[in-house]
Amino acid sequence: MPDSSDAFIDSLVADLKPVAPLRQGSGMALALAALLIGSVTVAAMLGLRRDLAAGHPAPLALTAAGVFLVLALASSWAAIDMARPAVGTRREGWGWTALMAAVLPGSALVLIASNYLAGQPIDLDRSGLGCFAVGSAVGLITATVLVVWLRRGAPSSPARAGLLTGVASGSAGIFAVSLWCPHDGLLHIGIWHGATIIAMGVLGRLILPRVLAW
Amino acid sequence: MIADDATLSRLAGLAQRGDRQAYATMLTACRSWLLRYYRRKVPPDQIEDLMQDTLLSVHRKLASYDPARPLIPWLAAIARYRFVDHLRIAYRDAADATLEDNTAVVEDEEQAVIARLSLDRLFEALPQAQSQAIELVKIEGLSISEASASTGQSESLVKVNIHRGLKRLASLIERA
Repeated sequence: MPDSSDAFIDSLVADLKPVAPLRQGSGMALALAALLIGSVTVAAMLGLRRDLAAGHPAPLALTAAGVFLVLALASSWAAIDMARPAVGTRREGWGWTALMAAVLPGSALVLIASNYLAGQPIDLDRSGLGCFAVGSAVGLITATVLVVWLRRGAPSSPARAGLLTGVASGSAGIFAVSLWCPHDGLLHIGIWHGATIIAMGVLGRLILPRVLAW
Repeated sequence: MIADDATLSRLAGLAQRGDRQAYATMLTACRSWLLRYYRRKVPPDQIEDLMQDTLLSVHRKLASYDPARPLIPWLAAIARYRFVDHLRIAYRDAADATLEDNTAVVEDEEQAVIARLSLDRLFEALPQAQSQAIELVKIEGLSISEASASTGQSESLVKVNIHRGLKRLASLIERA
């Protein structure tokens, strides 16, 4: 065995410091804390939806919020697990959840297209920009937690980890917005809330790989 | 013969708690494993550098190992990541290097594990044109024009296949 190799190992051994292994549960606890902080911040600064505060939430808004929450949890789980690589690991569950969530923007687009073809084009409400902006901003809390976690770990695919971080952040942010957003129409939720997740996913995929490479 | 996976896992757990003796034993075992792992796909004159890069990643990313899981799949993921990174920055001076299939004889069980985690396995997931372009240019060190003549692909297609192949390899690190 080459001497340089032995010397190299000796130098690594000399540099050893105790490290806390990255536990999936600890990572999820941090992601949940970020989700909670985002939700409380939105509720405290912007208030709760009237129907939610009254204890009678609108069915579609409630369903959509639940879907976004599940997507936030599933994609956060997958992102956190990516910090601990191992050949043979499969993380495909989040994809099915994302597909399920995509039904909302998909249905909204079908509605827009069918109305357009029937000669009754729908005007998209611009107020959704507020949801988009607030959701993206609040999602940054989750993004920060996940990026710090992933940088401690060794994601084997920084591109996928970036995408997952973006999707998790966008869905966590828009879940928080769902507590305040007064709209409960499919068009608003599908287009604006869906767009927040898609935009954050794209940004995560484009920006984060350089940050997460090791 | 390297230590079995259960022993390596235990050593890694001790190393995470700062046990230097266990860490030295673990790294030495990892070195032996890596040398055999890289032998089939990396020119001999580059193996030492790549092995040291990988051990450095093992050192920096020790926290990413979960002691409740087997160590070898974790080590293989790090080895593959460094290998794909190495392919990206491979220099033309590898041209004269030749690969010898001098894999040591290993026991059946160990061989089965290595086969499942191997770099060959990674290349199996690529379309043949992509794996051929990468093997010729990035591993055997041929020029683009030489690879083009050898494969019948145009020079631009060789470049495209290398680019797409490396991108795909990077997304398949954890594929068993």
